[in-house]
Amino acid sequence: MHRVLFWLLLTTCPVVGAAQSSQFGVRGLGYPGRSLSAHAIGSGGAFGLFDPESSLNPAALGNLTVLNAVFTGVQDYRHVENPAGTASLREPRFPQVGVGGPIKAIPLVLGLSFSNYTSRDFTLGAVDTLQLRGQPVETHDTLSSRGGLSDLRVAGAYRVHDRWTFGGAFHVLTGTNRLESRRSFSNSAFLATSQKSEISYAGIGASVGVMRQFGPTFGIAMIARSDGHVNLDRDSTRVSRVDLPYTVGFGLRARPLPKLDLGSQVVFRTWSGANSDLLAQGGAGADNTFEVAFGGEFTGDLKRPYRRVLRFGARYGKLPFLLDPGDQPSEFALSLGTGTRFAQQRAGIDLSVEHVWRRAGDSRERAFLVVIGVSLRP
Amino acid sequence: MNKLALGQRGRRVGGACLFLLVLAIGSCQERLTSPADCPALCPGGEQAVLDTSLLALPGLDSSFTGYVARGAGRALLVSNGLPASEDRAVYTFASRSDSISVRDTLRAYAIDSVQLSFSLVARDTLVSGLKVFVFRLPPTLDSTATFADVTTRFLPETLIDSILVPDSVHSGVIQTTLRGTDLDRVAIPLGTGGVLAVGLGITANSPTGIRLGSTGGSNGATFVTFATVDVPDTTTTIKHQSFSRSTSFNTFVTQSPLVPDPNLLTVGGEPSSRALVRFGLPPVIKDTATLVRATIELTPVTPIQGLPTDVAVVVARAVLADLGAKSPVSTLASDTVADTLLVPQVDTVRIDVTRVVQAWQGSSPRPSAIFLSLDPEAASFSRAVFYSTRAADPTLHPRLRVTYVRPFPFENP
Repeated sequence: MHRVLFWLLLTTCPVVGAAQSSQFGVRGLGYPGRSLSAHAIGSGGAFGLFDPESSLNPAALGNLTVLNAVFTGVQDYRHVENPAGTASLREPRFPQVGVGGPIKAIPLVLGLSFSNYTSRDFTLGAVDTLQLRGQPVETHDTLSSRGGLSDLRVAGAYRVHDRWTFGGAFHVLTGTNRLESRRSFSNSAFLATSQKSEISYAGIGASVGVMRQFGPTFGIAMIARSDGHVNLDRDSTRVSRVDLPYTVGFGLRARPLPKLDLGSQVVFRTWSGANSDLLAQGGAGADNTFEVAFGGEFTGDLKRPYRRVLRFGARYGKLPFLLDPGDQPSEFALSLGTGTRFAQQRAGIDLSVEHVWRRAGDSRERAFLVVIGVSLRP
Repeated sequence: MNKLALGQRGRRVGGACLFLLVLAIGSCQERLTSPADCPALCPGGEQAVLDTSLLALPGLDSSFTGYVARGAGRALLVSNGLPASEDRAVYTFASRSDSISVRDTLRAYAIDSVQLSFSLVARDTLVSGLKVFVFRLPPTLDSTATFADVTTRFLPETLIDSILVPDSVHSGVIQTTLRGTDLDRVAIPLGTGGVLAVGLGITANSPTGIRLGSTGGSNGATFVTFATVDVPDTTTTIKHQSFSRSTSFNTFVTQSPLVPDPNLLTVGGEPSSRALVRFGLPPVIKDTATLVRATIELTPVTPIQGLPTDVAVVVARAVLADLGAKSPVSTLASDTVADTLLVPQVDTVRIDVTRVVQAWQGSSPRPSAIFLSLDPEAASFSRAVFYSTRAADPTLHPRLRVTYVRPFPFENP
């Protein structure tokens, strides 16, 4: 009965999938999500390809031994700088929801997750003075966007002899993007204007992954993913099609000390495939990205490994969508995290804090991301 | 597991839950507005504001006359030397019987006094020494009376009284009371129908005008007679009575009536004129533009005169159906725009008609026409005459100045 209620709750609750926003997500499809749980973010994403609560590697689901559900929330505190000025922003989002569990009698694990693919949440404000009817009139422009692309993943993982785990997933990429342009005038004789538009996205993708465990202290993981393309409809009219990237990733984890796990991963995405599509629509283009992460997890009490856990990590990567041609944004982040399990390990909370620096040309951004993950094993 | 361990675990779980709750409450805030650095951070580009002038459709602008007759407006005009017009007011009171019924018997009465009251609606508050003169007129005067018909009877021997209006009185009731021998000036001989008619003129320290109440404004003049009834041995309330007679007819006469010229657009006058001006919105504005401001611009033929400090307004109304002179107009406040006519109005008259023009857009647009009228109609010294599309110089034609924005070029990702 409890399981039925649990599944019902998960499938009927409104899902909001959006990661933290950025001024580097204003162009193109937006700021790309990382499909990571709070657990993985605490170590910089270094264990993302091994983390069953993340949606990066379908083979990682093989690490689930019981039914598990995870819900992740992010609070973003951001300071933005660009030639037009500075601003301090904040934003709460819920980028990762997932559930998965093993099938009885066979070494198969199935999972369903909903994660953020790209986020286009932003509001841009500008003040200008125009000459209207021979008089200077101050104008206040606001361009706002809400929404983005979400990734609904159905995945399965199959374990072979406890050393190999193979995984595959089918991805449905969908979402909407509500845009609004508003202009008001300092002279009330000129009426304020508001124009709206809605873009809807639709695409599909597939991914495969593998994990190989070389004894109890070393393992590797790999993924390959193709997302094909996404169709864009503006107000129900097909306006364009954007090629989505191929993704390949490689990760490794090692346990040099009984209490210390170290990991690293590299993920490469061919976003340059979208470049021509974006340029054709008047955009600034896109370029390939990579992300390198390194991190570790220190377990204070080996008898109770879910207590006194400290995670740490760092990552560096490129962002796909250019603000100015030829100047690809990049980001660097340091992260720290911890977590605990309670109620006979049926519930857990993971907390991670990430400090991110992003830049491209004269545009800079630094952000504190507070990530909370709640997991349940009913 | 002992109770102590359970208590510690409970406190930890409770602490974690409390922490999450505080964090959740603190996180329920969103502030997303960042500065836009264009063009890098202006996806789609910037919104352009365009401004254009549209001339009225040639030959399709007209004046129509006869909506409110002279004297049927909310006030009557009286002036003396005012550049706008020279006017006199005429009031005819309801018939007063020469006997009164007391205890089912018609009885004669003796008049003790008579009071004539008029409602001062507006005056030029900057002009002092205003004096209103009340003259006796023949009761046969009607709406066909001319200025000459009335003013030739403004003689010393027909003068009933004059009322000095204090400079501090800007509006309200002004009245005169006649007693004794002065009653002869308002005496109504037997067999003449009992009707009293009076005409009003004014003087002041400088040329000016006033507006007086009328039956159209529900504040016409009153004629009150205080009399002693010829009835013996009765109470004071029966013996001493007053008879109030309201205005049965009122009008004013003007020395130079405004005669509408079919080649011009006349707004106001008596009887009142209204103008219908039609425009053609280009498709780019009609179908896709967002209006920011729309102003109808009308060029006066001559400076518009009027009574200073008591100005009239030009009212622009949306037309619900274009049926010419009888076009129904919207009564919604949002579809009606009024703009004050300065005195004297030399410059182009500009009326903001943005809300009206907005109704010309969309899938079920209203007729792209504007009906212009003067308020108050047939009760104002202001008379506006504008050039029409029949003027030789196109720069004098009625025009619509439209400021608009085109659809924002939202960037397709």
